Amino acid sequence: MIFEKRTERILVPMFFMVALFLPLFLESNSFFVGKVTTIIILSIFVMSLDFLVGRVGLITLGHALFYGLGGYLFVILAPEYEAVNFWIYTFYICGISALIALITGAVVLRTTGIYFIMITLAISQMMFYYFFDSLEFGGDDGVFIFMKPETSIFGLSFLNLDDPQHFYYLTLFSLFNTLVFFKVVLRSRFGRIVEATKQNPDRTEALGYNIFIFRLACYVIGSTLGAYAGFLFALQYGFVNPSFLAWEMSGTALVMSILGGLGTIYGAILGTFTYEGLQYLFEHLTEEWLLFMGSAIILMVIVLRKGIAGYLEKLLEK
Amino acid sequence: MTTELFFVQLINGIQYGLLLFLIASGLTLVFGVMGILNLAHGSMYMVGAYLVWYFATVTGSFTLSAILSAILALALGILIERVLIQRLYNRNHLDQVLLTIGMIFVFNSLQSILFGNDPYGVAVPSTLDGGIPFTENSSYPIYRIFAALICVSIAGVLYYVVSRTRLGMLIRAGESNREMVEALGVNIKSLYTIVFAIGVMLAAVSGIIAAPMRSIVPGMGESVLITCFVVVVIGGMGSIKGAFVGALLVGLISTFSSVLMPSMSNMIIYIFMILVLLVKPQGLFAK
Repeated sequence: MIFEKRTERILVPMFFMVALFLPLFLESNSFFVGKVTTIIILSIFVMSLDFLVGRVGLITLGHALFYGLGGYLFVILAPEYEAVNFWIYTFYICGISALIALITGAVVLRTTGIYFIMITLAISQMMFYYFFDSLEFGGDDGVFIFMKPETSIFGLSFLNLDDPQHFYYLTLFSLFNTLVFFKVVLRSRFGRIVEATKQNPDRTEALGYNIFIFRLACYVIGSTLGAYAGFLFALQYGFVNPSFLAWEMSGTALVMSILGGLGTIYGAILGTFTYEGLQYLFEHLTEEWLLFMGSAIILMVIVLRKGIAGYLEKLLEK
Repeated sequence: MTTELFFVQLINGIQYGLLLFLIASGLTLVFGVMGILNLAHGSMYMVGAYLVWYFATVTGSFTLSAILSAILALALGILIERVLIQRLYNRNHLDQVLLTIGMIFVFNSLQSILFGNDPYGVAVPSTLDGGIPFTENSSYPIYRIFAALICVSIAGVLYYVVSRTRLGMLIRAGESNREMVEALGVNIKSLYTIVFAIGVMLAAVSGIIAAPMRSIVPGMGESVLITCFVVVVIGGMGSIKGAFVGALLVGLISTFSSVLMPSMSNMIIYIFMILVLLVKPQGLFAK
């Protein structure tokens, strides 16, 4: 069983069962389908960050770089007025993002601690301003995506990305795969060594493992999945702009993963849904939702020491 | 680039760098002594600018408003440390990041509730209005020179306090060994409160000084925060000397690049920072 904790075994099936049937009840109201789709996409992004921060110990404040790259790479690669194949372009985008992560990772992983936080921030800010000041990518306004990709495999097409429900199930499927993927990776031999590099880098090195290579591999994995989430988000809304890779994006994702329970992986879903849910609630109650959002975050840091997942685990694990 | 333009840019760069130093010094002081990464530091800069604008419109005197705002900022610093930051000393950096992001939200929202979202400007005090003739047909604003002088004198006071006084001795001792300072009977809690409040006041004073030179707009805190991170990281986290050198470098580089290569000017300080960290992964003046 890849889900080791009782809390996960209860929450994960519950979440996916509800999510699976949700669109059937919301059929008349596609706004909520779209909203939940966005939160699911964000959950994938937050989960990839949670893996890096909580499991590998790489506290990055520049994860949004890859979120933005996922969107911008599609705009750069795909012809403007022609529907391309979704699966092929997913492969291209993930491949190129992985390559970029490999190069930037080799640079940023030379530093540790607070300097790692800062250099990842610097690289993402650099790319933010590159797109912000660029003429060919629409600068501040970004670029529109006119044609959504088609999804045929060997000529068979059963998904229509223009249909909100189809898109919803695609993102839900992606979230499920991401969760299972991380759980399998973390349980594997590779995952155990990664765990060891986080707990005690010196001893792991003394055992003969090159911790730099393991960290780099994790950085590439996390960043690539982050780019995939950005690609999905760009497809959902049909545009990409520099705010995708603003530092606020990285910061918010970090807040969501800490809120959910750092390093628990499934906590990313809890954190993202709670954060977005609270924001939606406050936005509808009051104009000054930021005040409530900020106060809620401050309260949760003080009260919930290990995030929502940590609190639930305290209740359910015995 | 003509010689005249070169000198104007040089003075601009130094003046901008000194202002950056003033903001960054608080950030690096708080990190160095307390190990707290305060993401809401930029918000304190914003608080200073908005307070001085508010008092200036009410009282009409810039000097009086500046003093009032600085005192209020100090009180705010003590309050924040006592109510919130104190709970975080035994937590990791991530909890600090989360809490201070929450504080950014609260301050941004308070700013929009109390002062609205219109951009404001503060008039340059009348005694400092005008310019120093530079060549026959150009002059340099007196207020900018004055602001630079204020920054230099604050830097001097800071240097004196940290290296020559009893409080400075405690600050340096707290940086290197917290437990030992405590064991010697020093109340580390109140020392931390003082240091944090000074950090907040330094950021607010920078906002006060900058108010007549820059427009007061929502979000001004965040943009200055990121630039300060660059300054502090280039200099080496926790080092005040490093912050001084880093601030001047960043000030000069961003001023000259905006003239020489405008399309790259926003990116260039980040490229510079990455290069510095590649050569010295702990910054120029690492401890």
